[in-house]
Amino acid sequence: MSKTFKTSVGYQIIADWMATKGNLPFPFQEQTWAKYAKGCSGMVVAPTGFGKTFSVFLAVVIDYLNHPEQYQKGLKLLWVSPLRSLAKDLAKAMTAAIEEIGLDWEVAVRNGDTPTKIRRQQERLMPDVLISTPETLHLLFSQKNNSRWFKSLNCVAVDEWHELLGNKRGILTELAVARLNQLSKNLSIWGITATIGNLEEAAKVLIPYPEKKTLMIKSKLKKKIKVIPVLPDEVEVLPWAGHLGRSMASKIIPIIHANKTTLIFTNTRGQSELWYQILLEADPDLAGLLAIHHGSIDKKLRNWIEDSISEGILKAVVCTSSLDLGVDFKPVDCVIQIGSAKGIARFMQRAGRSGHSPYEVSKIYMIPTHSLEIIEAAALKEAVKEQKVEARQPMVLTFDVMVQFMVTLAVGEGFKAEETYNLLKRTHAFSLMTEDEFAWAIQFITQGGNTLKSYEEFHKVFLDDDGLYKVKSRRISMLHRMNIGAIVSDAMLRVKFMSGGYIGMVEEYFISKLKPNDSFILAGRVLELLHIKDMTVFVKMSKAKKAISPSWMGGRLPLSSYMSHFLRKKLSDALNPGTQERELRFLHPLIARQSEFSHIPREDEFLVELIDTKEGFHLFMYPFEGRLVHEVISALIAYRLSKIEPLTFTIAMNDYGFELLSDQEIPLNENNVRTILSKEHLMEDVVASINAAEMASRKFRDIAVISGLVVQSMPGANRNNKSLQSSSGLIFRVLEDNEPNNLLLRQAYTEVFDQQLEEVRLKDAFDRIHNSKLIIKKTNTFTPLSFPIKVDSLRQSLSSEKLDKRIQRIQKETFRKAKN
Amino acid sequence: MNLVEEQITIEGEVLALTSLRAMYWEKEQALVASDLHIGKSAHFRRHGIPISAKVQQKDLQRLEFLVSHYQAKKLIVVGDLFHAEVNTDMADFKHWRNQNLDLEIILIKGNHDRLKDDIYEAYQISCCQKELLMPPFQFIHEPKASRQFSISGHLHPGVRIKQKGRPQIKLPCYEVSATQLILPAFSEFTGLAMSRAKKGKQFYAFTETSFFEF
Repeated sequence: MSKTFKTSVGYQIIADWMATKGNLPFPFQEQTWAKYAKGCSGMVVAPTGFGKTFSVFLAVVIDYLNHPEQYQKGLKLLWVSPLRSLAKDLAKAMTAAIEEIGLDWEVAVRNGDTPTKIRRQQERLMPDVLISTPETLHLLFSQKNNSRWFKSLNCVAVDEWHELLGNKRGILTELAVARLNQLSKNLSIWGITATIGNLEEAAKVLIPYPEKKTLMIKSKLKKKIKVIPVLPDEVEVLPWAGHLGRSMASKIIPIIHANKTTLIFTNTRGQSELWYQILLEADPDLAGLLAIHHGSIDKKLRNWIEDSISEGILKAVVCTSSLDLGVDFKPVDCVIQIGSAKGIARFMQRAGRSGHSPYEVSKIYMIPTHSLEIIEAAALKEAVKEQKVEARQPMVLTFDVMVQFMVTLAVGEGFKAEETYNLLKRTHAFSLMTEDEFAWAIQFITQGGNTLKSYEEFHKVFLDDDGLYKVKSRRISMLHRMNIGAIVSDAMLRVKFMSGGYIGMVEEYFISKLKPNDSFILAGRVLELLHIKDMTVFVKMSKAKKAISPSWMGGRLPLSSYMSHFLRKKLSDALNPGTQERELRFLHPLIARQSEFSHIPREDEFLVELIDTKEGFHLFMYPFEGRLVHEVISALIAYRLSKIEPLTFTIAMNDYGFELLSDQEIPLNENNVRTILSKEHLMEDVVASINAAEMASRKFRDIAVISGLVVQSMPGANRNNKSLQSSSGLIFRVLEDNEPNNLLLRQAYTEVFDQQLEEVRLKDAFDRIHNSKLIIKKTNTFTPLSFPIKVDSLRQSLSSEKLDKRIQRIQKETFRKAKN
Repeated sequence: MNLVEEQITIEGEVLALTSLRAMYWEKEQALVASDLHIGKSAHFRRHGIPISAKVQQKDLQRLEFLVSHYQAKKLIVVGDLFHAEVNTDMADFKHWRNQNLDLEIILIKGNHDRLKDDIYEAYQISCCQKELLMPPFQFIHEPKASRQFSISGHLHPGVRIKQKGRPQIKLPCYEVSATQLILPAFSEFTGLAMSRAKKGKQFYAFTETSFFEF
């Protein structure tokens, strides 16, 4: 850093201010300040809790203090954050700093929660610093005369960029940055991110502009994470998910009591409801000190819970990814992860929620819900040690978001085709877009489709005499503004007490399966369904002891490919008798049984088990690629087998492997196994084995909403757009019949290949299998690896009581067979 | 066009359920349909949602085929003939009407039919506000318990066919019980409301090529 910068007025003021608080700037902060002063853009990489906010924010303050003449009245720094919940605290921290420094800046928040009156005030005179979300920024673009607010903007900072990269909100952000960069001449673009596997790419996606000098500033500070696997009293040799859970409650209670405040992470909202009940049963004294927090719980209640955590009133909170991110809770000194975290980044993120301040150690306990998850604990420990974090793949050519953006501009100030084409081409997401594709998009928003005659009266966007594309209808503008954004939630219904009082939200899909007087669990309460009206479910407290908890569809997390790599490695390690790892030693009886009756696959092996039981002929395979990929592989294998002999299969799977069950012998042997698992004709066979149209139709749901083909009904709102209601499935069908070349339709298929079928990962998996030694084992009893998959398939067809009995019977039978 | 029939007898009358989303009552030479939602695609277009006019043109072609196939004298529409306002889709309907002026059209008004009376007059459609009684049947829009056997629509009934481990299939259907028959929506541009199985209810679901009874 240059001496002149360190002696500058601005730097001195800030350094002095920090000194009065007993702080020294971190090197990465100083670096950011100096580079910003030189007009650079860049990416700041730092773990949470290390003052990353103050890197970019104070950089702008220092530069302003040094060169006030380069700053105009109004907006100077635009802070974009994916999280609304962070905004308030961020504004508070920034305001405090500004006041203490003695600056006359105003910091304000603008998002969906901002009252109309404040918004109008802001529109008259923008604050110096505005904290917002990508969606709100696009909403601003849809206002008349919006460019005047951004003309003199000096810096846009995108916080938590890793959370946006890889999804469509990231595309919204890319587009917003592109437009700001077009409006403001000397804009600095800064991203702030946690460590991810593809940092260089992340920086290029946010700042794809070669004329900007772009840097990567990495904090050398590392968050220390202590991973503590909690082992059950004894190892269950035939493990199954869910069973171990309850018995682990007695191990969780002492952990809660030994710490100040504990966050207990589960993977789904359904599980969190379940564990809340289990923990209360295990220790009734926790009533009032234990809370539950997830995305479907009333926002007010969630806010209250968050405040209570901050104040240290609560002992523990059972939560989902709803608390992965967000405000730092000072009192939290312990985190518990129940079940698999499915990814290394997510696991580290969750661990980091405890022991925030730099140099403090984050403590995370791992509670396995079945014995095999103990391997995962070992895998995670190693992954954390190696700091191997997943990459986030950016999406490209998402035409739904592009169409939305173009209409947003048309609703706002109007746009010129060529200018917008150039703007889009410079972004990462649309750099590969062709002129034809852009022409299609223009046609789509002006005429509706390529056969003009079929779309008479379609009046969305007009080309005006001044060469600008504009929306003229007020109603269309209004509908569009309501629809801006890229988060598409499942149709949700509000849940309210008959006597008044709002509890939370459930998916329409779940409620549609219930009848009046049925009971279900939400927000830790057992509720009885009374009736449904206007997207609202009316309920009363139920006296029922047992009830079902909603299965929220969004709950399934895919297993990351890094995670699967470490899992395979650890399973292979478990064979070495000299192992130092407590978890693997603990699992020895299970491993021993697996290797006695079948085989433990080493890293360069692929295991296939053929098991004959009374029930039929089972085929098990263990790719360890996660449930979603297994869904595809299992359908593929079933397809290839049925080409040898027409068979019908029942398919079941978990994150480790899958099962094909048939009532006839499965024609798989040493001679043809290579062909069945071949990487030749992979994608052709996959396409033949699945119903691609059905999958694409499901993907089209989000696309239809984002591109404005489906008008979303807001939960609780009166359905005033009733005559415009239609389902995305219906529109999908109509388009397939009438406009098969519609790019949005094509996009749905592309998304199926990229996300659902995970083409790249699938190919990698088959490459790996191709290079592995294939091992086929035949047996007549279930093995430790196959058993949990078997149980999962039973679960779907049996009530839980019957399930318990059935499983116990199979366990007994298996052991009896083994003795003989 | 492929037409599959499923004949049923109700109150002594033979009714032909067809796979083209309408029913034929031979004795009266009447075609019975529900929920045509004429003008729906243009209504969407007017509000910025591009739905091709071909959607409705195909519906009209199907109607045309049915009328000439059965040589029907009457068309009874049990509600929701028009979706919303008068719009460009109406021109196609008008064209079709002018070519079939011999056909008597009777509409039992549904919740969507809110156009002015002179428009129905101009198209030579006779309207019933609530119901049409043609013994042994009562034609109404929304299914309702009554003493006579009622024939209605409004719900867009459908059934869900579950397959193990595969996505479920949804099909439109005719829902029949001892007291009523509910027609599927005639327009292809409509969703389905899944019917709940109940004792005494029968579902005649169909694809382009066959009928399935549940």
